[in-house]
Amino acid sequence: MEWYRTISLALRTLLRNPLRSFLMMLGVTVGIAALTTMASVGEATKQETMRRFKRMVGTYDIVNIAPGAARTRGMPSLTTVEPTLKFDDATAIAAEARTITQIAEVQNAFDIDVKHRDNTTASAIYGISANWLEMHGYFIDAGTPISDDDVASLARVAVIGIDVQTALFPNQDPMGQQMRIANVPFQVKGVLVSRGAGPGGGSLDNIVFIPVTTASKRLFNRDYLTTINAKLKDPDRPEAAIEEISAILRQRHGIVPPGEDDFTVTNPRATAEQVTQVRSTLSTVLTGVAVIATLIGGLGIMSLMLIAVSERRREIGVRRAVGATRRDVMLQFLIEAATISVMGGLAGVALGVAGATIAAIQQDLPPILLWSTIGGSVVLSVCIGLVFGLQPAWKAANLDPIEALRN
Amino acid sequence: MIEVEHIEKTYRRGDGTPVTALSDVSFRIAQGEFVTVRGASGSGKSSLLNILGCLDTPTSGTYRLSGEDVSNYSDKERSHLRCRRIGFVFQSFNLLPRTTAVENIEVPALYSGEALDRDKALSLLQRVGLANRSDHFISELSGGEQQRVAIARALMNDPPLLLADEPTGNLDSASGESIMELLSDLNKEGRTIVMVTHDQAIAAYAQREFYIRDGVIASDGRPPERAALSG
Ligand SMILES: Nc1ncnc2c1ncn2[C@@H]1O[C@H](COP(=O)(O)OP(=O)(O)O)[C@@H](O)[C@H]1O
Ligand SMILES: [Mg+2]
Repeated sequence: MEWYRTISLALRTLLRNPLRSFLMMLGVTVGIAALTTMASVGEATKQETMRRFKRMVGTYDIVNIAPGAARTRGMPSLTTVEPTLKFDDATAIAAEARTITQIAEVQNAFDIDVKHRDNTTASAIYGISANWLEMHGYFIDAGTPISDDDVASLARVAVIGIDVQTALFPNQDPMGQQMRIANVPFQVKGVLVSRGAGPGGGSLDNIVFIPVTTASKRLFNRDYLTTINAKLKDPDRPEAAIEEISAILRQRHGIVPPGEDDFTVTNPRATAEQVTQVRSTLSTVLTGVAVIATLIGGLGIMSLMLIAVSERRREIGVRRAVGATRRDVMLQFLIEAATISVMGGLAGVALGVAGATIAAIQQDLPPILLWSTIGGSVVLSVCIGLVFGLQPAWKAANLDPIEALRN
Repeated sequence: MIEVEHIEKTYRRGDGTPVTALSDVSFRIAQGEFVTVRGASGSGKSSLLNILGCLDTPTSGTYRLSGEDVSNYSDKERSHLRCRRIGFVFQSFNLLPRTTAVENIEVPALYSGEALDRDKALSLLQRVGLANRSDHFISELSGGEQQRVAIARALMNDPPLLLADEPTGNLDSASGESIMELLSDLNKEGRTIVMVTHDQAIAAYAQREFYIRDGVIASDGRPPERAALSG
């Protein structure tokens, strides 16, 4: 029998028994809907996490050198890192490394009290080199950024995030105002453009930037760095820079290879991918559950098809008597199973896209339509129909025609 | 047309004991003959017709259809024979429910490999006197009309051989007679017909009658005249 005839026969047969067809579809619909929703939300979450991570680190075209061996996840700060990474190390890397174009020094701490008159808040304090803001794509909204002069002269100047402005200077222009960071007076010289939420959902705007020299000598009194950022000459080859910088630091710190490094060099893109990888483990599990739901839908198709085969014995006998081969009957039932499964799958995709859109709106994620998921769902439902239709179709094809026609 | 030699058919019951439905059956039927097979219930009439119709294979013996030995044909080969060379008419019509008359007639054409020909199905419907019933569902037709649709279906692929197993068995005598008139006409047009019945009056439409008793052809000759029966 020709294909389109087989398919149109399947459609007509299925339409003749709408309730059963609906029940056959149901399991696959639910499974595929869950699958589509899960995959879309998972992908949206992943993309959003990557975006937020990018927003936090500002650029992927750098490597970050932090003190301590293979430090665990979390931002380095003065209170958590080992005092092994010095200003001299930064100078040496800048002078010797060929794979990078510039470096920036960072000395940072979190949860430091900042004050203006009676207004107090706790913020992240970042002592930075003058090139840090530009290197990371942080922009000034008002005022001027930290300058080389500020760094050279250990100036007590600060560039603040919008959250700090809101907390300390409500309804007034912060520019030129005094603020105290851990009781040390600073003058506000700039306000940053807002950066929104970070990968963990927290604000990236509760931050104060000051010259790294000021931080070291006049605020924290520490001579070690929490991070050195190095801008890559070739953004596509962070590994080369990681190798080169590691070699320089090992030599300076007297580390001989079997011995453990007392520093870690990472590329933020790799870190971002690791972070989202961890998140998507959860969505992999959920996707597995949805696939199992779809398979259970397939079992539903199988059992209802088996019932249909018994009920339609006479029809099968008639078709065999007038010339249908086993193969014709087999195909008829297989196509029927695949058709109902695909219809269920398409309904599931529609529901899933709707579900994903609602979830995206609720969670403030960008709604995304994943063609790969839609295509995958259709392919999956075809396969489900064919696999679970196999046994009923085989049973139908192997009915003895005389037996099937007997009253 | 049909050459049957020493055919035997033995079934196995559920418990494994053999039942012989046909033993040492031999005959020839020439093209254009109208033969009835008569006998008591359980005598083996349907078993014989199923073998002639390639729905079943003999346990032993040979069956030649138009000179071709089909006794050992595969399931697929027999399906093709049923499709193009044999038309079947059943006692219980065996039409597809919830399907229109014309769609039922088209079913054999689905399997013949040829393009569907709606006009042909409609002309067959006209041939059996149901031109105005093409879009009626089977459930809307009387028994006699359903059997006409079944005959039209049997003719769809133009088979030279028509087999009918008690085609009037479920009909009142008036509808039964008109079905027999139709079959006679088809025979006069040149189609070979083998029909099973246990009704002598019906057998009288044929030119030749096999009488089967316990799986053996007990007699092979002219059926009694219709006039003699009705008189
Ligand atoms: N599939 C079968 N299995 C076992 N016995 C069968 C089967 N089909 C027919 N028979 C037996 O074969 C004999 C002939 O049956 P059948 O050809 O149907 O007779 P008729 O059509 O003349 O009534 C009967 O005794 C019947 O019980
Ligand atoms: Mg019988």
